[in-house]
Amino acid sequence: MSEAVPSSYLDPSSLVYQLESILESDPLIDEVGFVHPSQFASMSDTSHANTSDMDMSFWSKDHKLGISTESIHPLYIAAKNAFMSSLQQYKMLIPLHSKKVDNISATSSPLTGLENELMKHSRALLLLSCDFGTAWNCRKEVVLSKQNIRLYLDELSLSSLVLSCSPKSERTWSHRRWVIKMIAGKCTNLEEILKNESDLANRIAEKSKMNYRAWNHRCWLVSYMPESQVIDELIKYRDWAGLHVADNSCFHYRTRLMSRTLEDSWYKQDLKATEICQLWKEEITWSEILNKRYIGREALWLYRRFLSVCWMKHFAGHSHTGGSGTHLDLFVENEIKLFRSCKMIPDNVFEDYQAQAMFAATYIMWLIKEMDEDEGMRRRSVVEKVGEEVEQVVNKTLDEVVGNRLHQLFNLEVVVIHTKL
Amino acid sequence: MTKNDMFTYLLGVDGDIKFYRMGQLAAEKHTKYILQIEKKKDDIESALTEHLRINGAYWGLTTLDILGNLKAVEQEAVISWVMSCQHESGGFGGNIGHDPHLLYTLSAIQILSLFNKTQILNIPKVSTYISTLQNKDGSFSGDKWGEIDTRFSYLAICSLSLLKSLDKINVEKAVEYIISCKNLDGGFGCTPGAESHSGQIFCCVGALAITGCLHYVDKDLLGWWLCERQVKSGGLNGRPEKLPDVCYSWWVLSSLIMIDRVDWIDKEKLVKFILECQDFENGGISDRPDDAVDVFHTYFGVAGLSLLEYPGLKAIDPAYALPVDVINRLFLK
Repeated sequence: MSEAVPSSYLDPSSLVYQLESILESDPLIDEVGFVHPSQFASMSDTSHANTSDMDMSFWSKDHKLGISTESIHPLYIAAKNAFMSSLQQYKMLIPLHSKKVDNISATSSPLTGLENELMKHSRALLLLSCDFGTAWNCRKEVVLSKQNIRLYLDELSLSSLVLSCSPKSERTWSHRRWVIKMIAGKCTNLEEILKNESDLANRIAEKSKMNYRAWNHRCWLVSYMPESQVIDELIKYRDWAGLHVADNSCFHYRTRLMSRTLEDSWYKQDLKATEICQLWKEEITWSEILNKRYIGREALWLYRRFLSVCWMKHFAGHSHTGGSGTHLDLFVENEIKLFRSCKMIPDNVFEDYQAQAMFAATYIMWLIKEMDEDEGMRRRSVVEKVGEEVEQVVNKTLDEVVGNRLHQLFNLEVVVIHTKL
Repeated sequence: MTKNDMFTYLLGVDGDIKFYRMGQLAAEKHTKYILQIEKKKDDIESALTEHLRINGAYWGLTTLDILGNLKAVEQEAVISWVMSCQHESGGFGGNIGHDPHLLYTLSAIQILSLFNKTQILNIPKVSTYISTLQNKDGSFSGDKWGEIDTRFSYLAICSLSLLKSLDKINVEKAVEYIISCKNLDGGFGCTPGAESHSGQIFCCVGALAITGCLHYVDKDLLGWWLCERQVKSGGLNGRPEKLPDVCYSWWVLSSLIMIDRVDWIDKEKLVKFILECQDFENGGISDRPDDAVDVFHTYFGVAGLSLLEYPGLKAIDPAYALPVDVINRLFLK
């Protein structure tokens, strides 16, 4: 027998009822966390928190809710059972109701009652098991049948709440996208909603590093953004990116935003072209500063690969930069200089410097590979200029797996270059 | 005794024993581990993952088959449970009473393939469920709620191919959509413009391999990105700057094999990394050394070792993620 079992453990359904009541009584709860019961005591001492006297399953104060880790299991089982049984009844009732489509739904109809139950139980369940797809689906079903914009916005709130304790939940992010797709044509403040979405993704990215789902959601938003917002995002979050130089997803987000400025409708308009060109110049300069400041960061070098390839393709050889071939030469010259300044490995070898030299070397190889087919001459001259130095860097790290792989790649690259010349 | 204690103990007694123990696959322990989780349904981990139990069943059963121990499970019970996850629509849910999704439909088909039982399916019905999820641009939604992802393209294409029903969809358009998700770094993301991710790359390359369209892949460029996933410990990560994780032994490795660039990584070091992630006491494989094991990583570890031609394991097909003999039985008869 275990000791001091709180009475409500004996009746898990009353636990669910408690949870649902707390959520109901404070619709502004914006954060949920799972807390070990031993922590409850210290939390309660210092506050007038709303903890139930019967047991210590829940704690809530200042719109934050703590759920005891000890209660998760019984709570989950009870919430799931409550949800599944309501869902079963709902599925039986739905065909009966869909026959009389035009009826003005009486608020007291058995269907409405059941829908309320479903929304309550699924909310409790999703806080405990965020990827329980069937629960998200039934919420979509109910919201869809009401066609009320407020209900859609409530779904955004609930999914924010779930993300506060499960920031990587794929189903939860997907539910947000469903909501946005549904209201995109209907609401007048889409831009504001998108801004909030981006802020939310940013807040979550801050707490949960390199969260693919959060950043992917943010990238998805980009296609809905008007041009001005794309530029705003680039500028607004530049400092944030500078503080998170190991977060590849964050730099991919910039890749996505920068790519949008290359869409035909944008930079081919003469007026905008100069503006966009300026934006690219600034980004390239900024990226170089980061590359030199933060030693050995893979994400930064990969981002520079992207920037350089696009710069060579879209700007360096084109008229709106004010020049042609010579611009490209100057650019390549600058990149070689960057490589040389990064390839030095001090005597008291630090891992980071080795990585820095290696990334700089692979970066140059990448540039060579990505030069246009008709750039044979330029390609050859770059190989002549730095080929040996790149190989030296490779040889220096040769005993590492990294070095081995690089060497293989470099040989391959030489072959590629020779056959294409 | 924790895993660490055991290593110290073994090292203290005899360094060679430690080497011997660490240096090989604890196949029997892993079999036991999987058989035991198959039966366990009432602990908290099983409860919180019950919505994807059919994926878990596929991971566990495929591992058993690679280890040569599929006979240890009660086939009839598994099959009848799988069939009770099917819906009117033809799609499968992750468990009884859960909504259907492509994620679970492929697992159901794969499990039936392992037991050579796909004939019990109403194939036109299942393939219609899948084909109606194809969108105009060639992409696939995962279910009727419309989320789009290249993973769903793979799930649809792999499922239909196993059912020999690829003619039910517009393959050309499906391929076109996958290609539109290719990034400048050679990798693929879940939608056009999304970040390259090893898991997504496996799905895209796998779908292209099954449809005979690998010529659309820039193999050197993608191979370059994929082999940069190997880190010093020998393990593979899923994206730049991330820690290595055993599951990428499957996703990165199978992709490298499909595009014929597997020699670009250090295979020996990878084998060593996977073996170090085993729980020698209770069986199972974890994401990284000394973490808690689960069936997902046990499958990816064993499947990765199979791709690396580890002795005593059945060969696995890198595109279908099923043992090669299962695929041969399906397509060569």
